Amino acid sequence: MSKKVLDNQCPACKAPLKFNAKLGKFKCEYCESEFTMEELKEKTAASKEISHQEEKTRKGSNKYDQYHCSDCGALIVTDEHTSATFCVYCGNTSIIKERVTGKFAPSRIIPFKCEKNDAIEAFKKINKGRPFMPKFFNDEKNIEKIRGVYIPFWLYSFEVSGSIKMEAKNIRSWTSGNTHYTKTDIYHVIRGGNMEYAMVPVDGSTHFANDMMNSLEPFHFNEFKEYNHAYLSGFLAEKYDVSSEEAFSDAKNRALNSATNYLSSQVNYTNKRVLENHLQEKNVRSEYVLLPVYMVNIKYKDKMYLFAMNGQTGEFIGDIPLDKKKVLISAILLFLILFLCILLGSYLLYLVGGNV
Amino acid sequence: MKKNIFILCSFFLFCLPVFALEERVESNRYGVNKKWELTDERIEAAKKVPLVDANDKVYDYADILTEEEEEEFCKYFQELTEKIKMEVVFVSINMPYSRDKDNENFAADFYDYNDFGLNYKGYSGILLLRNAYEVDPYFDIYTFGDAQLLYDYNRLQVILDAIYSSFKSKNYVGGLNIYRRYIRNYFEQGLSKEALDYYVDDMGYLHKRYKAPLFFALIFSTGVTFAIIWVFISKNKMIKKATEANDYLNRQTVQLTEKEDKFITTHTTSYVVSSSSSGGGGGGFSSSSGSSGGGHSSGGGRHG
Repeated sequence: MSKKVLDNQCPACKAPLKFNAKLGKFKCEYCESEFTMEELKEKTAASKEISHQEEKTRKGSNKYDQYHCSDCGALIVTDEHTSATFCVYCGNTSIIKERVTGKFAPSRIIPFKCEKNDAIEAFKKINKGRPFMPKFFNDEKNIEKIRGVYIPFWLYSFEVSGSIKMEAKNIRSWTSGNTHYTKTDIYHVIRGGNMEYAMVPVDGSTHFANDMMNSLEPFHFNEFKEYNHAYLSGFLAEKYDVSSEEAFSDAKNRALNSATNYLSSQVNYTNKRVLENHLQEKNVRSEYVLLPVYMVNIKYKDKMYLFAMNGQTGEFIGDIPLDKKKVLISAILLFLILFLCILLGSYLLYLVGGNV
Repeated sequence: MKKNIFILCSFFLFCLPVFALEERVESNRYGVNKKWELTDERIEAAKKVPLVDANDKVYDYADILTEEEEEEFCKYFQELTEKIKMEVVFVSINMPYSRDKDNENFAADFYDYNDFGLNYKGYSGILLLRNAYEVDPYFDIYTFGDAQLLYDYNRLQVILDAIYSSFKSKNYVGGLNIYRRYIRNYFEQGLSKEALDYYVDDMGYLHKRYKAPLFFALIFSTGVTFAIIWVFISKNKMIKKATEANDYLNRQTVQLTEKEDKFITTHTTSYVVSSSSSGGGGGGFSSSSGSSGGGHSSGGGRHG
């Protein structure tokens, strides 16, 4: 059995061709030729396919695949979900054809807009407004590994329709004479409707935590391009390992929660509680896409911290460790300042009140 | 009002010169050896009260005691004064008055413009005034200086209640014995718990002591510190699970198809708001001002 590796070659000099995120074009680093996707398509009638002998090995429960670089012939080892990688010797991008074609062919892609340096700069600025970040945590030297990865996402578009039944209360209070009254009117309220949710994203890879991928939202979907493997050059890429059916529950739950809250917000009562929820999704359409993310590994005090940056918007997310000493000192100082201010304030009020 | 002024003027013109032992003149600083600045107004006020020997302690202008009783109580009160380091004074008058405040003004001026309490801190002392005016007999106790703390309003109430029946039945000896007994007892008991929160200034006015709100400051500072620290700590946690999809709702497609509001029931609850009352006027700790500018307190007085 053979596995096919795709690579992008400059139509002018045949050197490896990479996508330049800043230019939004493909640029040859050797002859400096620049090509748009359309120009590249024209000049390379068909992608060059090179056959390689597959050497598949199994180590424990992990599967590893081996390929030969189309440029220098060196051995490339990847895991079973990688669809684009690099040759560690010549840096040439290798795209594993069978992982980006057929059922794994993404329909659209958002190309990287931010460059690696943007991710580094963004990381350097994460201390802003975060006084409890350990000193030197955001030093560039702590960046162990930074890589641009196209993450597989499922986008779901569907309708939500139905109704919710709520118990709603109107509470009114007043005082007459020396008696305080509280009147509570109770209603059963039903609100129903239809609405459409478009392109709710769910991460299709088990390699990345869903919470982390959620936190990278929103992506600007108006910048989607029709998928072409050439966009993968210069970046890593993953193929989905969570099926569309499995991933849908996340999108459905989010949309149903959102629809419930929307209908609930149409009710103007003092307080309300959902008794029955009859909202359902229908006409579900899914789409497989690749979205750009920079993954940054930070090594701090022998511990690894994973951060991610939205490769389109530059949004940087991750959990920053706490400097417990800073937290403790700040808390003590803050407490003392507040404590003394209250005492001073009360003494000033005492003086102003003419008690001396 | 005019009638009141007339009655007071008549009293001061015809009665007081009889009480006076010595003239109040400029050469003797109008008999005032206390620190009050002598303004024209104060000189006029001082002239309206008799100048007396502060060692006598008992001034029976209304002749409600015999000579022997007067001497006996004078001795008792002198001993008591020595013991409690505050003046103990009894004054009886026969003065027409229209309001209780007239009695208070007389007592305050009588005390302030004589040498009472001169040897004690803040001119401290306690004065029992009996106005034997037959139309409306009245008596009250007035305290000066630190005596305002030792003999607070509640304690004065107890003393006034205790001597009420004796004074009403004109058993003044009995009443004065009760008076001196209570004075001694309260002295031995020391300051009440409430009185510890107050102090008397140089002018004889009562003030509440500054009490640092330590408990409130502790709770408030702890709460606010936790809240602020929590806000900054949460800034380090940037990964959050998405539970809604509002950003992906196409609002133009929203159609509300069902709307029903069905009234089920109603209920009304009520409770009586307890009104906070101060327990009657004159309670607690508060000073009044005499014409001298010095402060004093009173027990509220009794008619009878």
